[in-house]
Amino acid sequence: MTRLVKTVTEMEGRFEEKWVLVEDDGLVSWEAEAALRHVGHPTPRLTGPQRVSGAARYTVDVALPGMLHAAVLRSPVAHGRVTALQVAAAEAIAGVRAVLTPASELGFQQRSGPLHDEPLYAGAPLAVVAADTLAAAREACRALAPSIEPLPFTVDIETAWQEQRFDGDLHEEARGDVEAALAAAAVRVELVVSTPGQLQTPIEPHAAVAWWKPDELVCFIATQGMFDARAELAKRFDLPPERVRVITEYVGGGFGGKQNAGFEALIAAELSRRTGRPVRLVLDRHGEQLDGGCRPATRQTVRLGATADGMLTAIDAEALVEFGMSGWRAVTTPALTLYRCADVRGIEANLRLELRRGNAFRAPAVMEGITALEQAIDELAIETGLDPLELRRRNFADRDQSADLPYTSNSLLWCYDRAAELAGWPDRDRWREPQADGLLRGMGCAAQIWWGGGGPPSHASCRLGGDGVAQVVVGVQDIGTGTLTAARMVAAEELGLPLDRVTVRGGDTAPAIYGPVAGGSQTTPSVMPAVRGAAAAVRRKLLALAGDVFEAEPDDLVVDDGRIRSRDGGLDEPYTAVTAKLGQASIDGSGNRGPNPDGYRANTFGCQIARVAVDPGTGSVRVEGIWAAHDIGRVINPLGASSQVEGGILQGMAYALSEQRVIDRTTGVPVNATMDDYKVPTMMDTPPIVVAFAPLPDTLLNTVGAKGLGEPPIIPTAAAIANAFRHATGRRAAALPLTRARVLEAIA
Amino acid sequence: MLVPERGGAVVPVTVVLCVNGERHEFEIDPLERLADVLRDRIGLVGTKVGCGEGACGACAVLLDGRAVASCLLAVGSAAGHRIETIEGLSRDGLTPLQEAFIAADALQCGFCTPGQIVAATGLLRAEPAPTRAAVRQAMSGNICRCGCYPKIEQAILSCSGGDG
Repeated sequence: MTRLVKTVTEMEGRFEEKWVLVEDDGLVSWEAEAALRHVGHPTPRLTGPQRVSGAARYTVDVALPGMLHAAVLRSPVAHGRVTALQVAAAEAIAGVRAVLTPASELGFQQRSGPLHDEPLYAGAPLAVVAADTLAAAREACRALAPSIEPLPFTVDIETAWQEQRFDGDLHEEARGDVEAALAAAAVRVELVVSTPGQLQTPIEPHAAVAWWKPDELVCFIATQGMFDARAELAKRFDLPPERVRVITEYVGGGFGGKQNAGFEALIAAELSRRTGRPVRLVLDRHGEQLDGGCRPATRQTVRLGATADGMLTAIDAEALVEFGMSGWRAVTTPALTLYRCADVRGIEANLRLELRRGNAFRAPAVMEGITALEQAIDELAIETGLDPLELRRRNFADRDQSADLPYTSNSLLWCYDRAAELAGWPDRDRWREPQADGLLRGMGCAAQIWWGGGGPPSHASCRLGGDGVAQVVVGVQDIGTGTLTAARMVAAEELGLPLDRVTVRGGDTAPAIYGPVAGGSQTTPSVMPAVRGAAAAVRRKLLALAGDVFEAEPDDLVVDDGRIRSRDGGLDEPYTAVTAKLGQASIDGSGNRGPNPDGYRANTFGCQIARVAVDPGTGSVRVEGIWAAHDIGRVINPLGASSQVEGGILQGMAYALSEQRVIDRTTGVPVNATMDDYKVPTMMDTPPIVVAFAPLPDTLLNTVGAKGLGEPPIIPTAAAIANAFRHATGRRAAALPLTRARVLEAIA
Repeated sequence: MLVPERGGAVVPVTVVLCVNGERHEFEIDPLERLADVLRDRIGLVGTKVGCGEGACGACAVLLDGRAVASCLLAVGSAAGHRIETIEGLSRDGLTPLQEAFIAADALQCGFCTPGQIVAATGLLRAEPAPTRAAVRQAMSGNICRCGCYPKIEQAILSCSGGDG
């Protein structure tokens, strides 16, 4: 039965009540002990051969007949007024087809920009050129030779705070009376922590190829959300959505920074509209590092109150955020939710600076918050003389502290125990003994909370042809998370087919089968139930047809390993015994993600332990091991999931040790907006990583029992490393990353 | 081959490249980047440009068997050398190393993967049984932002005769 139901949906902690279309699929979640043939077994990814052979086509590889190339002129100053652009000189260059400046009348609507005559950050786009060759477009950008009158700027958090340069209102969320609770606390700690600006740095930069055809706008976009991109293009250019097609077959990493259509697709579409030619716009690396986005820097103060035996009685978290996302406040969310505590307050101020505004970067805001909160909890453990994990166990929150609702599942205590067991945590103090190599060693831990329950709407279709091969279509692109592989596994499971007889297509809005943006760890728990539903619909129809063919009761038949069998064992025929009779027809099914259960919160949890070695002579910090235990419900593909965890940990490790957008305060310009100077980790930096998943599916949440995994692994790593540094050296650095200078200062 | 003076109009010269065993002749500015020539003129887009500054390794190709950053190499200086790209390495089907990458899940988004395969191929040709330390050293010029390093290391070592 098809229904419209009102349900609460969530994306990165933003809750919304909305109507969604639901077709009841009659499925119940696979139980923990269900014997599954594909789901839960390590499976290599679907598109592996294309990706290892160079055959995969990314947006930057799209070349169309007559295609023009676009280049962007960017502001060299943090704040200024463009008084002149030499447009005629640029247009005079051979091969130049279009020059867009802030004065250009554009075919789409945008509140500010996209081209600026008063740039508000270094790297802001001033003008764009499309030309026959990229070289000509770049030469024309140089020829524009902007005259810029410099204007005052503020690029540091302290000055912005003193000047009260708020972006939006102060955000406060509180329960109880935190000041009274702090005053009455037997034990108090206060910690001030600064966290760095971190750049997503996808290896494929932001890119789009747009082709404005007479009857359709076709855009190839390196985006995490092709349907969001389609909606944005349709809205801005005032086109019906069905006349916009977004194709995103492969994406070279996103990490949160590639949402919607973005500047690139809007501008490429506009240039194509003007010139009648396909247009490719790919950010160069400098442009990507200046304007691709960032996790904003923060300065946070955490005050904790507790009883002498470590029961938290007060949590007070304040965060100053260096120009984060508009209207998005979640740095203090962990303080409000991770531990059981009656008197809690979180205050956040988003400060307006002449910097590129922050955008989503894997676990936006929550990672920053955990990095401060979990260091403060570590200080409380030291103050109370308790084992840091024991302190966390004592303050375990078995229900959502803000909403006062139970969780659909919560295996955080299991994660504490498992991470401790894997890391050899009980013996951690032995690492502090004098070491033969003169290094200082220590171990630290940190916990993690994130949403990641997903929800509707999300749809899938499944078609079984005469050859007995099923084709699944989903409305999402695979940005490297293994989504399409997981979809193949789920469909094969439900259809009783071998993996090689299920294909999965995504990355194209043309089939008009909707899927959500790949963000917030929502893809797996949103899309996989829809895939299962679509496959189940096909399975039921197939068995009904098999009942006709074999003169059997469909309820007595099952599918397994590409065969149709009767429960009593009397019938055992290949799929094709039925499907071959279909001729050109096919068996079709559709599925959708059902509503989330009322009265619950769905969250992911985890714990990581890090061991570090600090060289007191040079100040270098090496991570020697990370042990990670996460609760993400059912793990669809343990192989892909372990890859996700390793990747998240390495980005989190770099946040603690090396990655930082460095701004020259005298010019307001980022000085390390290159891959040479912005230090992402290499293989040489990679420590041994051990990964474990809680063995408990979330059967309340959805029909596959899975929660999401994109964000969880990055969240606790930096705090665990900072706590390990504290254990090793007895000192805590006031700011991350732990550069050599900071380390030497901290241990001096 | 004559190299024109910079600053004035570019004078194209004839450059002959040997790519994946095939001869390609261009009238071209010899200072064009090899990566662009491979991608835009020959259509070998498996070679990716990640940074254009020699820092990420996505554009790695083999030049006489050695991995080099094709974004830093002027096409004129590649003339007369044997160039192999990811397409050349994959011409006769997937190599054991590529199969090992798939089996180990040594890729996520896959954008850096051609460069990783090329660099690892160069390493294994020069040193068929590298130690774990040698693998880490040799591969440290290839950035994988998805963080597949543990599995890339595992995939390469599984193709190595060494004991790690």
